[in-house]
Amino acid sequence: MYQSESVIRNHYNNINDWLDQMTSKVILEKNAEAETHFRNIGITFSTNNETARERIIPFDLIPRIFTYTEWLRLERGVIQRAKALNAFLADIYNQGEIIKANIIPKEIIYKKKSFEPSMFGFSPPRDIYSPIIGIDLVRTGPNDYFVLEDNCRTPSGVSYMLENREIMMRMFPDLFHNNRVTPIDDYPTRLLQTLMSLAPIKCENPEPVCVLLTPGPLNSAYYEHSFLSDQMGIEMVESTDLFVEGKYLYMKTVDGPKRVDVVYRRIDDDFLDPLCFNPQSVIGIPGIMDVYRTGGVNICSAPGAGIADDKAIYIYVPEMIKFYLGEQPILDNVETWNCEKEQELKYVLDNINELVVKEVDGSGGYGMLIGPKSSKSSIDEFKTKLSTNPKGYIAQPLLDLSFSPTLIKNQVEGRRVDLRPFCLIGEQAQLSSGGLTRVAMNEGSFVVNSSQGGGVKDTWVLAE
Amino acid sequence: MLSRTAEYLYWISRYMERAETTARLLDVGYRMSLFPNPSGYNNEWESVLSAAGAIEGYKNKYDTIEQKNVEDYLFFDESNPSSVYNCILNARNNALVVRTSFTPESWLAINKTYQEILNLKEQKFTKSDLPNLTEWTIEQVNLFRGSLSSLLRNDGYNFLFLGLFIERADNSARLLDVKYFVLLPKPQYVGGNIDNMQWSILLRSLSSFRAFRWAYDGNITATKIADFLVLNNNCPRSLSFCIQNIVKHLTNLRCSPEKVGRIYNNLKDLNTKIQEEKIETIVEYGLHQFVTQFIRKISSVDNEIHKEFFN
Repeated sequence: MYQSESVIRNHYNNINDWLDQMTSKVILEKNAEAETHFRNIGITFSTNNETARERIIPFDLIPRIFTYTEWLRLERGVIQRAKALNAFLADIYNQGEIIKANIIPKEIIYKKKSFEPSMFGFSPPRDIYSPIIGIDLVRTGPNDYFVLEDNCRTPSGVSYMLENREIMMRMFPDLFHNNRVTPIDDYPTRLLQTLMSLAPIKCENPEPVCVLLTPGPLNSAYYEHSFLSDQMGIEMVESTDLFVEGKYLYMKTVDGPKRVDVVYRRIDDDFLDPLCFNPQSVIGIPGIMDVYRTGGVNICSAPGAGIADDKAIYIYVPEMIKFYLGEQPILDNVETWNCEKEQELKYVLDNINELVVKEVDGSGGYGMLIGPKSSKSSIDEFKTKLSTNPKGYIAQPLLDLSFSPTLIKNQVEGRRVDLRPFCLIGEQAQLSSGGLTRVAMNEGSFVVNSSQGGGVKDTWVLAE
Repeated sequence: MLSRTAEYLYWISRYMERAETTARLLDVGYRMSLFPNPSGYNNEWESVLSAAGAIEGYKNKYDTIEQKNVEDYLFFDESNPSSVYNCILNARNNALVVRTSFTPESWLAINKTYQEILNLKEQKFTKSDLPNLTEWTIEQVNLFRGSLSSLLRNDGYNFLFLGLFIERADNSARLLDVKYFVLLPKPQYVGGNIDNMQWSILLRSLSSFRAFRWAYDGNITATKIADFLVLNNNCPRSLSFCIQNIVKHLTNLRCSPEKVGRIYNNLKDLNTKIQEEKIETIVEYGLHQFVTQFIRKISSVDNEIHKEFFN
């Protein structure tokens, strides 16, 4: 919000005035109201412990604001990236041109667990493997946005984006009278359109039947699954509701079997089809992969799409953009050292005190080392890990993430934030006019993950 | 509609209805505890427990029947499947899975109830206040039922109401069965202290205490009460009202007419009989036998609904 010590960026002026006139009593009340609201609508984490109360993610009342022009650039950049990632998937599961051109070494693709050999030679509808992509962005200077991570499998968080806006509009209607905030509530409609535009070849239904496949109520994103299916008006199914017969997929309804055309799956590859992936799995729909490959159903995202958001592949995304789209990347990657390469590993080991080291397969803010913030013993521990398994790690500089004003004990303080906007690719490519802003609630913290004390904010994109 | 969704909807309203029945029973027990004990009826809590179908579970846990323990067992106890707490917990867990099949208001009604009962449970040792708890429960259930009025009139709606009336039919019949002796024909009018107390228990636990006075003129007789609770179609808890509504929501289902037909065939004799029967005949034949048969029939209809629609 601040340009320098005391100068407020223009588009935050309204918010600053609004903050000034709120007493701490009002702030307390509104915080409690938000918490009650989130509990009531059930936007909570389930825990495995049934007697423990469900947790809610801390919600910060101060919105994060993007100007129209700021957002335009992000929009172009994210869509560009999402297109390149899909082109990459289509390529590596077919001709492998990017490997032949010596841009990405084949070992780092084909040896990955997230690479799915059974997808070889198969092309999903419209060649879209990953129709819903969440790109994690950070800002380090006035116009310096970097991509921290791509999420091509089943990015979550969009329900927070929508519910955060709902609660803000409900609690502070005046804010929305005085600011021109682009609405986001058409996201579920656009998501459904995207899914319907990806019907499989054997689908004759002009309005394809879509379902959302969830692992069930114990999954931490369960609220989001039910929220999205509700908003889209499609069935939320578990794998036991589905079965395969004669090259088609059906769901069990009170009328008898009903054919399903598109599965928006929110379960991992491993649990899709016990015949194809994990024979030990008790969840999954036996035979669904066969139906998929013969054009009886579409699975979104495609099995094996996860290779595109692998941290080792991430390094090559700017090259992908040039290779597939013939364009210059609009959004840069964070500088990243690939520990697999001997020289880069040496650099990382020498400068580990300054760097953030991440596990290639890690997520949720776990399994990482923040050099400048870590004790000598944990640094030594990571040095050993790096030397024994360099392939398993990448390193990045510690980014000075931008601060966003955040209410901490009724005082406005700066806290670090990141941003995940959601990109949809079907018949057309589009970006949500907003996203999920995550905020590191602890002073000085760099970790915004909700599993580690992160909170969320409403994210505004101002209309032109 | 998914078979699983239909099943969950059906059970949500069963659980909510059961929560109300349990709360009403507790309320009756509480009232009774405020009156001086007439000899022969000195343990009204025991009959509350048996009406709630919880007497066995309770006796496994406690040696003596005491108000405090009965209250806890019927309201909060996690080991009692019909405790108000468990009913609400189960309804809420089911609602979580099928919230897409009803309105946000219905979800809110259930989820708020759940959030509040968690708070009540935390405070129960500092603040046991049975009348407030039962009143609260009835209020919450009414909130839920009210929210259903804005639902789409589709099969989901009918499954919700099928569950509600199957549960209510069963609950009403069980209450009648526990208290049927009150309604046995006697030469004189009902009027002794003990009888007064007994029939008021029965009517109160079926939320029909005042309604009865409005429905029947003149003297209160056992036959009139029996008629009210078994055959009167104006009484929303009578066996006949429940059957009528089960038939209505069953035949309103638009899915699978053959399945509906099979269940209806099993039900239609009972429906015809109950609509045409005279209470005197039933009482003469044996109210207890009648009610026992009724309970058996409802349970077989419930089994059929599960078999036809939820598998």
